[in-house]
Parts: sequence; structure tokens; C-alpha cells
Amino acid sequence: MAKRRDLLKAGAMAVASTPAIFGGAALPRMAQAQLCRPEGIRSPLTEPDSPPVRNYTEPLYIPPAMQPVDPATLTPPPDPNRHQRFDEFQPAKHYVQRFTEGLWNYHPDLSRLNPLNAVFGGFGSIAWMMNGATPGETLVARYGEPVFVRRYNDLPSTENAYMPIGLPYTSTHLHNAHTASESDGYPMDFFAPGEYWDYHYAMMYARNDPREALASLWYHDHMVDFTSTNVYAGLSAMAIFYDDLDTGDENDPNPEALRLPGTYGKYDNYLILHDVRFDQNGNPAYNVFDTDGHLGDLITVNRKVTPYMEVEPRKYRFRIVDGGPSRLYELVLSDGAEMIVIASDGNLLEEPVASKSLVMGPANRHDVIIDFSRYRPGDTINMLNIMEQINGQGPTGRRLEGPDRMPVMQFRIKPLEGPDNSRIPDFLRALPPINLNEVVAEREWVFDHDMGLWTVNHEFFDPTRIDASPQQGTAEIWTFRNAGSSWAHPVHVHFEEFQVLEWNGRPATGVLRSRKDVAMLGPNDVCKAFYRFDDFLGRFPIHCHNNVHEDNAMMKRFDIVPNKGGHHGGDSKWRR
Amino acid sequence: MKKTTRRTFLAGVAAAVPVVATAAVVPDAAKDNPAFKTCPRATGGKNAHRFPQVLVQDQYKQKAWFYEDLLADKLVMVSFTSVKGEDYYPMLSNLVKAREIIEDRVGKDVHMYTVTTDPYRDTPEDLKALADKYGAKWRFLTGAPEDIREILASFNARGSLYGLTWIGNERTGRWVKKPSQLQPLFIAEAVGRLSTGKQHKPFLVDMLVKNTISRGVPGTQLLAAVREEVKNQ
Repeated sequence: MAKRRDLLKAGAMAVASTPAIFGGAALPRMAQAQLCRPEGIRSPLTEPDSPPVRNYTEPLYIPPAMQPVDPATLTPPPDPNRHQRFDEFQPAKHYVQRFTEGLWNYHPDLSRLNPLNAVFGGFGSIAWMMNGATPGETLVARYGEPVFVRRYNDLPSTENAYMPIGLPYTSTHLHNAHTASESDGYPMDFFAPGEYWDYHYAMMYARNDPREALASLWYHDHMVDFTSTNVYAGLSAMAIFYDDLDTGDENDPNPEALRLPGTYGKYDNYLILHDVRFDQNGNPAYNVFDTDGHLGDLITVNRKVTPYMEVEPRKYRFRIVDGGPSRLYELVLSDGAEMIVIASDGNLLEEPVASKSLVMGPANRHDVIIDFSRYRPGDTINMLNIMEQINGQGPTGRRLEGPDRMPVMQFRIKPLEGPDNSRIPDFLRALPPINLNEVVAEREWVFDHDMGLWTVNHEFFDPTRIDASPQQGTAEIWTFRNAGSSWAHPVHVHFEEFQVLEWNGRPATGVLRSRKDVAMLGPNDVCKAFYRFDDFLGRFPIHCHNNVHEDNAMMKRFDIVPNKGGHHGGDSKWRR
Repeated sequence: MKKTTRRTFLAGVAAAVPVVATAAVVPDAAKDNPAFKTCPRATGGKNAHRFPQVLVQDQYKQKAWFYEDLLADKLVMVSFTSVKGEDYYPMLSNLVKAREIIEDRVGKDVHMYTVTTDPYRDTPEDLKALADKYGAKWRFLTGAPEDIREILASFNARGSLYGLTWIGNERTGRWVKKPSQLQPLFIAEAVGRLSTGKQHKPFLVDMLVKNTISRGVPGTQLLAAVREEVKNQ
């Protein structure tokens, strides 16, 4: 285990070199409050608190895997002409999802307050759901098995909706699958109540390179101007991609397989974090007039308020995603124990990194392995958030201590039910090489604030304007710059993963040495990233994944265009 | 605005003085904190509790309760500028263009307001001159400075320049905001998207993306095309 000990050291260094998102002057709490004028206090602290809720009393909800349907039952049948390279990647699995309005039991302490229980004949808080649940079913897919999902918008019209926020139009983004534009959930590709949209996921590695494999993804609404509220209302869920290396089977006889803790729903689980504020009726509350961001006062995990999970004293894989809208987290275990980080933004690292805390912003993912074998049945360990944040702009720079730490969830140790054959290999997946000779362009994207809204390159989102047109089959260097000195912007680019060349002028180490799709920019951070553009054409957004900033114009459009040199792998006959 | 309408409106104001509500729930974080205060809130609509209970007056010196008379149960477009601010951050000519796209609806089922960001200086006369200068045919609002400040705060507006236009439908409680200098097409589109019933048009811009903008039609022609599009629907 000498290697592991080395990793521990690397982990300590990784913490030290983690991008500084702890900017912000460390003002005492009262002084901070005095900065805010009474009539314009820039903080959700003026929002009423949620009703009292008992922590760790609800079991964690584990969404089932999506179940395929017979394609013959799809009327009309899938239209190959709507999709790029459909014939090449004919769907192996077909799924149907229906988006509806209904009740979701976030917590009985909230559900029992809701007068809508009588209206719906149920028990819960008002929610927009996928196939009757939020999070929706998990898409468990394998590379080489293309997926087709038909999503029906069965939400009520705006005037008939009980959900007080959001707009019942939806466009679903599978974050950050290598998906053609028409299936990617572009913000303007939304569909109305009564309509459906077909999504085709080719399940191909970018550039057919297994080193480009994605593992932990999530899918969520991406409706223009209403992403934050629609996701908050319930339109988010998870996806897992397996392949021959990361198979999801810890007993896999294939010597190549990593045998990470599995299978899905048992020892391989997804935790999606949303911070929610509830009104006095137990329904989600949201201030649409706060363009800085929304903060909830209760943490939900898989849409259960501070749940518990019974675990065996053995290794588990948790894929943790910050589902937003605006909160950043630093997650710790209550006993200060280490977690082994194996993936960043859903992509396996080359080598695991041990860390006592996980810093993540909206849409960031961390896959971690927690080894509960050090505990005994009956023990409990809590997961807590220690990052202080008092408004939607970003963290204050202080850590929460003692009783101020926010409860996230609880692990309860139960007796072991069988042998733990899972491993934490010392080497996971190689990173694809970076060839700077392929770079044909450099671009800079500056994230800033103007006139109460958020800007990229000093401009507001205009979906008809194309701000970059990278050619298919080429590489570019993109620099993301946070011009703000007191706020954070998780920058997300659709379709392609990037590798960090430099973060604030220094090479990436630790968890940052990975393929990523969200650059969590702290105050004044600069991230220089290497991109390649291949396989599909079309329009994609680049935006801040603080959903509230995103809805407030912090978005740009880039189009991947055919390579005039002609040496690309895409289908050049495709035209939108 | 026609005279008869204004008279009816005046009568309405006199007859119905809204009930003043105070904030019922004070969050723990704000208790005993001198930086926080509560103020009378409007009542009766989807987002009433977000708005102050204050009187405003327009460039014709017509008085109105800001929420009950101007927002409640209406589809509105609220922008913010001042006589001075317009010099530094001009938006009225752009909003005039946005209004042209939906001119059939303005004053009927869409109501436009511009709230002054400088209530200390801007009198109704000043605002009338400002509106007339740009041909802005909608209501410009001012009032007691402390009241206007409460209105600005409710839209998260700070300082004497504030470049957002808020489009809201208080029948459904949905609001979006667009930069006031954004292509007027998008501002008009937001109105269509938040409209209900026959006037509801979710896809105005994207249809044009496919049909018009992608073909490189210049701005003025585009605007004409949009107006045509809106009329035909």
C-alpha cells in the first residue's frame, strides 16, 4: 500500500492547490450585515425559514434504473432524419419519460403541511417529476449501446399549474454526454405541454477513444430563462455510463475491469444535492426577483431532506453532484475521515486522491469511495456541509463550525451481508494526450456582472448570435476568466470535456488533473483549458452553471462547424 | 391613455384603498438584526408579498397603488431609467422598438411602465418630457423617494442605473427579465412567452432563427418581419 500512502500526500497537496474559491474578505458576521442596506439587502437571509424538519429521519431515495420499452410501441416511430449519425448508432435501448406535476414527499414534516394533498389525493410537496418521481429514474447505459429517449411534456399549462415557479416548457440536457446538438437540450430546443422531444444518445466515446469515457452524468431541464426554477421544481436526475473498464460489477472476472464498488443502487449510488427552501405549506419557495442566486436552507439528497442511508461496513462508491441552483459545498464526514476521490466531473482520474473534504460548485461531480469497514454496526456518520454562503453570488470564505455546519445526510452502519470484492485500484483511467500542435485558435471568455445581470465577454445571452465556431476535427485553447472579485462562477461548456492546462498560471494537480466539464471559477480565477471538437455538428451553449446566473443571461452560443480541411469524422451532409 | 379611462381609473383608486399587510414571518437570521426591517407589503396577487404597498404617480400626475393597480392580475413590462440615467445608459429608444413589435397589445392586455431610478429629482413633468422626447407611449412612474426606493429594491435594482426590464404575468406569477438594451425582439418574445391563451407564443424567436436570422437578414428588415409574423398569428 505504499502507493496509497503516496496518494495521501498527493491528496494533501491537492487540497492546497485547489482553486481559491475562498476569496471574499473575512468580515465578522455583524459587519457583513451592515454592508447591506435595509431595503436592498443582497441576501436570501430575508426569506422566511423553512418549517422545522427533523434531520436523518427519512430514508434516502434511490431512483431505480430506467426500464427500456419496446420500440414498436413508439408512435410515431423514431425519425432517423432528425438525428445526426442515427444509422451509425442505431438505438439498442429505447426509453419513455413523461414529465408531470404532482406531489413528492421531500419529508413528512413538510408534506403534512400541504393543503394540496387534498387536491392531488396524495402526500407531499408540489413537484415537477419524471415518470412520477424526482429525481427521475437513473439512465444506466453502456458504451456501444446507443440510447433513444422520448420525453413527453405532460406538465399542465402555466395557467393551470400549481407549481408557483418555472415555466412548463422543457429542454433536457444530458450533462455532459457527447451528444449531437439536436439531442443535447439546447435552451431554445424546448417543447410545450402536450408535445414530445426525441433524444438520441450515441453512446460513443469522443473521438472513439476509451480514454474519453464519461461515468457520472446527470440530466436536467435547460429551458431558456427558466432552468433554475424548472430544475428546482424537480426536473433533474442522474445517468451512469459503464464500459469495459468501469463495468459497475465488482465481481467482474475480466482482469481489465477496475472492479470499483457496484452494482448501481446497491454499492454504487448517486447522490444529487439540491438546497431547497420551503414555504409554510411545505412547498418549494423561490424568489425570482433575486438575480444573484437562490439559496435553500435545507439540503436535500435525491430530493429527500437530510435523509439517512443504511450501509454495510464495506466500500461504497458515491457519485455526488451539486444540483444547484447556486450553493457551493465543502462536504465532510462528521468524524473527519477521508474519502477517496476517483472521478472529477464524472470522469475517472488517473490515480485516486484521498481527501477529507470535497469542494464543489453547481454541476460539479465527485465520485468518491467511502470505506465504512472502519465502523461497527450501529455506528452513525453524518455528512455535513462546512462552506458558509449567505447569498447566491458565492461563498463568504469562512467555514462553518460546530452546530452551524449544515446537515446533508447520515450513514447508519448495519451488519455486513457478504464479502466486499471491490477494489480501489492505484491506476484508474489514462487521460487522453494533449497535443498543442493541434491548436488552431485561442479564445477567452470573461465572466462578469453588468446592470444587475451577468455577462460573458461583457454581453448578455443572445441565442441567435454565434460567438465561436470551432471547426470539427480541430483543437483550441479556451481561457475562462472570472472578472469578479467576490463571486464564483461554475463555467460549463456543453458537448466536450476539457483538460486544465493552467489554473491561475499553475499546472493542474490532484483532482484538477482530469477531464472536466465545469470549471469552478473562484473570485478572479483564470482557467486555461484544452479542447478538441469532434464527431457532431451544431449549436451548443457555454454558460455559468449557477442556474440563476445562467437564467440571467450568463450564456453564449458556440457552433461546431464542418472542417473546411475535410479531415473530420462527422457526417458532413448533416444540416439543421 | 384616454380621458374616460383615466377618470374611471381615478375613481378606482379613490374607492379601493388596499389593505396594508405587514410581513408575517421574520426569518431567524433577521431577528434582532438592525440591518433588516419589515415594511408594509401589498396583498392579493401571486407575488404581492414581494412588493411594497406604495402610491406612485405617472407623467400625467395620475396616482395609483403600485401593485394593486398596476401589476396585480396583469401582464406587465417594467423598466427603470431616469432623466439623467438615460444619458449614460440609454434604453428608451430600444424599448420603443420592443413596444412597436407588440403595439397592438400595449395598453390593452400588456402594460408598460418605466420607474424612475432618481425619484429625488424626476418630477412628473420631467418624466413627461423624457417620454415625449423618445415617443415612449407608456406610463412613467415616480413618487415619494422612499416609496420608489422600495419598488426598486423589490426588483433588486440598485443605484441610479439599472439596465433590466422585467416582464411579468401576475395572473400566473411568472416573471423574466431581459437587459433593456437587448435586441427588442427578445423583449417582445418574453411577452409572448409569458402570455396566456390566444396571445401565448413560445417560439417567436427560434422560428425566426431558422427562417430569418440564419439567412443574415439585417436588423431593420428583421424587425419588420417580426411585426408581420406577430400580426399573422
